Amino acid sequence: MNIAMELQNVHKTIGQKEIIKGLNFSIRSGEVFGFLGPNGAGKTTTIRMMVGLMNITKGDIKINGSSIKDDFKEAIQHVGAIVENPEMYPFMSGWKNLKHYARMIPGITDNRIKEVITLVGLEKAIHEKVGRYSLGGMRQRIGIAQALLHSPSILILDEPTNGLDPAGIREIRHYIRNLAKKENVSVIVSSHLLTEIELMCDRIGIIKNGELVTVEDVRDNQENDQHITVKLEVDDKMAAITLLKDQFDIEAKEVQSNVTFKIEKDQIPLIVKQLVQENIAVFEVALERSSLEDKFFELIGENTIA
Amino acid sequence: MLNFFSLIKNEQIKLYSRFATWSMYIIMAAIILIAALIVFIFGEVDQQQYGDDWQTQLATETKDLKDSQEEMEFMAFDSEIAKNEYYLENDIKPQPYDTWQFTLENAGLSMLISLFTIIIAAGIISNEFRWGGTIKLLLIRPISRTKILFSKFVSVLLFSLTMLIALFVTSLLVGLIFFGVNGVNPNIVQMGSDGIEEVSILIEILTQYGLNVVTLIMMATFAFMISTLFRSSAMAIGLAIFLMFTGNTIIGFLADYEWTKYILFANTNLGQYFGSGSPIIESMTLGFSVAVLIVYFVIFILVSWLSFAKRDIAGH
Ligand SMILES: Nc1ncnc2c1ncn2[C@@H]1O[C@H](COP(=O)(O)OP(=O)(O)OP(=O)(O)O)[C@@H](O)[C@H]1O
Ligand SMILES: [Mg+2]
Repeated sequence: MNIAMELQNVHKTIGQKEIIKGLNFSIRSGEVFGFLGPNGAGKTTTIRMMVGLMNITKGDIKINGSSIKDDFKEAIQHVGAIVENPEMYPFMSGWKNLKHYARMIPGITDNRIKEVITLVGLEKAIHEKVGRYSLGGMRQRIGIAQALLHSPSILILDEPTNGLDPAGIREIRHYIRNLAKKENVSVIVSSHLLTEIELMCDRIGIIKNGELVTVEDVRDNQENDQHITVKLEVDDKMAAITLLKDQFDIEAKEVQSNVTFKIEKDQIPLIVKQLVQENIAVFEVALERSSLEDKFFELIGENTIA
Repeated sequence: MLNFFSLIKNEQIKLYSRFATWSMYIIMAAIILIAALIVFIFGEVDQQQYGDDWQTQLATETKDLKDSQEEMEFMAFDSEIAKNEYYLENDIKPQPYDTWQFTLENAGLSMLISLFTIIIAAGIISNEFRWGGTIKLLLIRPISRTKILFSKFVSVLLFSLTMLIALFVTSLLVGLIFFGVNGVNPNIVQMGSDGIEEVSILIEILTQYGLNVVTLIMMATFAFMISTLFRSSAMAIGLAIFLMFTGNTIIGFLADYEWTKYILFANTNLGQYFGSGSPIIESMTLGFSVAVLIVYFVIFILVSWLSFAKRDIAGH
């Protein structure tokens, strides 16, 4: 497995305050790496060092083997990134903004720009001024478009799900997974909410107070990535299992007094509606926490997230 | 190199995508127009009256000037008198006021361009911080910070050059409409360092514009430095404009001290070595001033570079 990025004992001190206290981890080619931590944990600071916006106090970051410190141009040319809010020039159209960044790297054709616009779904708004873009979705999209222009092999997205509705998050998840799978792009996504990135990541590193607490494999024991486990408490278990089989093609099992099965979260309302229509009484719908979620709560403490 | 031109192109596009930039051109054009109207309505009419008997007219005028000068016991009209005598001696008929003269007088408007250039120079770096942090997206490209800094500096110079050309062309056109023209490149008679001399007006215009460019570049570079250092355009604009307007006054107060000659503002007006000017402090020479200006320029650029090339781009 190739290493796309390696953090070697990275420290950052601002003034007297040690903000990052020796980070060691690597990102493999083609994986989606989640960088998870509560507010103020040091995610953005680490990302700023990854892309050379901040000096590394001690240690080094290697991108495809080149040091971001000593060989900035070589290292950064493989990287596309958004750092915190992706701000564009508000007085120019989306297209002009993308052209602006395209001019900074040789070899980006207008066709490539159009390709990226289609990928993030911005065709309709591209000739409007960015200042008029809606806060959440459109700005994230143009931010991602800007990062993809030069077909980077490493994509760094700082809180890409911030300010997005569930549909927006699902869409981002979809093309991040696509990039990783189809184009072998390594993606680093930071977030302070496990639920928002859990489904798109291969591995998740948890950072707290500038220290890496743990790195977990997400997809190890999860055969189907987009699915979560649902526990149903109903009066007629057999009827429910049959209905799930017939109408949704879901293999449900009877576990203790519940019916359990795996589905995508957004299917739940429809299933509940069907059950009710078939006169099956639903007493409880519960989502089973993943082991990672348990771990996250344990490590971070429930009160400190979100 | 291609890369560098792209960067400059980017900067120019960003500049001219904003109405604020265009409004500077509009303000300048309006001022030129108003100046032309004022001259047209109130000024310089006497010069247009020279007819076939211009020699007699000039002689009377000169005599009047001499009389009033004697009354005042003050050499107020010396250069006027000398000019008139030069016309008579060399049998040159004084030419009426025309667009060339108007354009020459508008060299003074380069003060306005200095003002605008300061505003642009002060914003070109700090705005990237102010617009919610476009600086971050600018600096994560495979281009060194040094190159980005210089593309921005060169863009500022390019802007002021464009404005100077606009000033020249607009003055010439507006002047043409209001006052007409005496020829392609007429000579004018004026007071030089060795008495009255006759010079080509185009050369004179270029000299005046060129001399004003010195102040312009120095103040723009100063504003650029302050804005890079503090990442705030308000501070850079305030400081640079304040110094530009008070600089000469301060020098006036300090003219008795020898060390005053090392102050930037004692040297920005290179006009003191040309024409009828005289240096603020006797020991100063053109070479000295140019050397002082270069030292200041290098320091300004160096400070900008040091504060831009290495510093953290931290949260905003
Ligand atoms: N320029 C700075 N000077 C001093 N302290 C800073 C600076 N930037 C960040 N910090 C501190 O460093 C810590 C980490 O901040 P950072 O922005 O990296 O956190 P984060 O994990 O991205 O948090 P969030 O989820 O809120 O984005 C915080 O405690 C913050 O106060
Ligand atoms: Mg952050």
